[in-house]
Amino acid sequence: MVSADAMKALPSLTLAMVLALAGCATWQPPAEFNDAALRGRALTRDNQGLRVSAAVLSPEDSRSILGVDLDHSQMQPVWVEVHNATPRLMWLLRTGTDPDYFSPLEVAWSFHKPLGGSANASIDRHFEKLGFPNPIPAGTTHAGILFTNRERGTKLLNVDLLGQKTLVPFSLFLTVPEDDAASGATVAQDQQHVPASQVVGYSDLTEFRAAIERLPCCAQGPGTAPGDPLNVVIVGELEDIAAAMVRRNYLRDARAVDMGQEVLGRTPDVVLRKQTHARSSAAWIRAWRTPLSFDGRPVYIAQAGRPVGGRFAAPDAGFRTHADVDEARNLLVQDMMYSGGLDKLGFAHGSGTSGRGDGLRSVLFFATRPLSLSDVEILDWVRFIER
Amino acid sequence: MLIETCLQIWKRIARAALAATVLGAVLAGCASAPAPQSSTNAADYKGRAGTRTDGGVRVSAAPLSADESAAVYGVPLAKLRIQPVWIEVENREDRAYFLLSPGLDPNFYPASEAAEALSLGQPDEWRAELDRRFRKLAFHNPVGPGETVSGFVLTNLDEAVKPLQLDLVANGRARTFSMFAVVPGFRGDYHASGVFKRDIYPAGEVVNYTDDSEFRAALEALPCCAMNRNGSKKGDPLNLVVVGGLEDAFPALVRRGWRPTEQTWSGSVWRMMTSALSRERYPYAPVSDLYLFGRAQDLALQKARDNIHQRNHLRLWLSPMRYQGKPVWIGQISRDIGSRLTLHSPTFTTHKIDPDVDEARAALAEDMAYSQSLAKLGLVGGVGAATREAPRGNLTTDPYFTDGNRSVLLFDRNPVSLAEIEVFPWLALTR
Repeated sequence: MVSADAMKALPSLTLAMVLALAGCATWQPPAEFNDAALRGRALTRDNQGLRVSAAVLSPEDSRSILGVDLDHSQMQPVWVEVHNATPRLMWLLRTGTDPDYFSPLEVAWSFHKPLGGSANASIDRHFEKLGFPNPIPAGTTHAGILFTNRERGTKLLNVDLLGQKTLVPFSLFLTVPEDDAASGATVAQDQQHVPASQVVGYSDLTEFRAAIERLPCCAQGPGTAPGDPLNVVIVGELEDIAAAMVRRNYLRDARAVDMGQEVLGRTPDVVLRKQTHARSSAAWIRAWRTPLSFDGRPVYIAQAGRPVGGRFAAPDAGFRTHADVDEARNLLVQDMMYSGGLDKLGFAHGSGTSGRGDGLRSVLFFATRPLSLSDVEILDWVRFIER
Repeated sequence: MLIETCLQIWKRIARAALAATVLGAVLAGCASAPAPQSSTNAADYKGRAGTRTDGGVRVSAAPLSADESAAVYGVPLAKLRIQPVWIEVENREDRAYFLLSPGLDPNFYPASEAAEALSLGQPDEWRAELDRRFRKLAFHNPVGPGETVSGFVLTNLDEAVKPLQLDLVANGRARTFSMFAVVPGFRGDYHASGVFKRDIYPAGEVVNYTDDSEFRAALEALPCCAMNRNGSKKGDPLNLVVVGGLEDAFPALVRRGWRPTEQTWSGSVWRMMTSALSRERYPYAPVSDLYLFGRAQDLALQKARDNIHQRNHLRLWLSPMRYQGKPVWIGQISRDIGSRLTLHSPTFTTHKIDPDVDEARAALAEDMAYSQSLAKLGLVGGVGAATREAPRGNLTTDPYFTDGNRSVLLFDRNPVSLAEIEVFPWLALTR
């Protein structure tokens, strides 16, 4: 039986213990970091007076720069540098890079030791110094680390820079270093699939629609099995499509099961999955570059689907495609309306009438210019009715 | 009778399924899903539906209670924390409109996914029947010119009060509607009389600012921090000003996944809504009360992230100020980065907040940039700086530091693209 007095004394005893132990733990921040290696492999893009360079940190970089081991965490630090040669103050919108990004002190907190005292304080100070410092005044260069969610193989990094009545988006395809699990093709390979001489260009919408409807209905599945329907067509520069998708929390995430789907004799060029954080659905998009272009912009044919069981499935349930691919397609369209990148939308035939699907493919045209909900042009093609 | 038995068995099974237990052969006698109750009085939810009109488009919407959704769908959706919202759209314009479910809830449930979840371990017949039923009940796009379409969108469960954001998009045009609806059956019998319709300030107390520098001065003169109940201790810093209301600010928050917390409505707005306020409290308090203008927060919202510990919280109080006729809310935002023990809360646990409260403030501004409704943003003083070396503490003794500024977010009803957002020429936007 603990006496009432002892209960009363508990808080002060705890405090005394904290004070006694706080001095024991120590943590030495790494020496001033040399960004030469990061710069060496960083990708750089210029647009409208802004220059963005970025590189994903390797596990070794994380240990030497952050002073902690992130190998088994879902965090993926990315080094970003922005040079602002515009006359405006600019702001890097971290939400646009990853809607579920981590704050520097949040990452630091995850490495705190119980009763860590001064050690925890120095972890905090170190991470705070490393974070990307917003905003970026005219004529200056800022560099720092964004703590994003992990992507494998190639990371689709979207950087939205906001200024007074201005948005300048960048999309960079970064190699994730030392990632053995790299799956799917890189973008560089992706671009090589269709030599420029073989591209058939369209500028008339009616002719383009006819060409879309002639594309194969479905992928080839594993062995002789029929593949999933190709129910989406995406038109736009890869950067613009990527920006729209990343803003809605689609990350590059190819799994072995995706490689069972073949179109034009190859596995998907890119696979994106909507992240399941905060109970969002685990929908996917598998896309292949086609030999078509519209107004000079590349055209991709894609599958929109979701796994059987959705977010209620057991963790080991796998990724068997749920039969209602029309629903997955329709919901992708709705999601993209909020991406700020959807310019035009149409529905065309071509994805076959087998099963219970409506056989339509949705055709999404993406633009660089940020767009609002009221800017989307809906093409007078097939009249779409949800069944 | 058979239906009743099946329903009984189902209820037990649903509980078992939720506990990840294997489902048995108990089902032999009822291979198909329990039928919806035809006696359900649809007039109930249709009768209490809120209605709005803009241009030639009329919308009506009502969230269903747990009992209503079990009756309409024949299965206990609320047990999986799924809540159907009944929506009707009448289109008297010249072009077809599409209702966007992600606007209502970015994490909404596709009909087929919810049907699957409620068929776990069930025979094929049951599965097929539920799939057909859920599909039939769903809202079907588009709403053509001259048509009226109604159906359900499946959202995450909100108890007591639910924010409803209906975004309808047509060729080159958008119509957006916002309302708050009371969910019957969860916390007593509340009456859904306009949450934000009544004025809590007498007309004489309201000051409408039209001059930017006067508005800035008024914002900077507000108290630094929220207080405890008797006003003797300072709590979290008031680092947020939201300019806008039901038509413009709340759509932005709802579209980006901000939801009311369980205890949201204990403040004056809640009192305003109902003459019969229940004093009962939830056994746990996800957000503790803070005080400003002599009352607890009018609205507390949270945006869940990875898990229960990682979420951002904000509290808002309606002020007696207006800016160009729009309501002005003063608030506080923080990022929860974990849970910790404390002696300063009746539950002995509290959220550990990111001590860099400016980070959470900036994160909200950035999040709102993607909401389609943020028109202008700026920074003003008024919080008072606190350094890392000499941080201040909130009521649960969480240390925080800040540059001493509050962020001002002005919302507009018309969709605003990312390239149209303006900046108030006040303090340089720091983080």
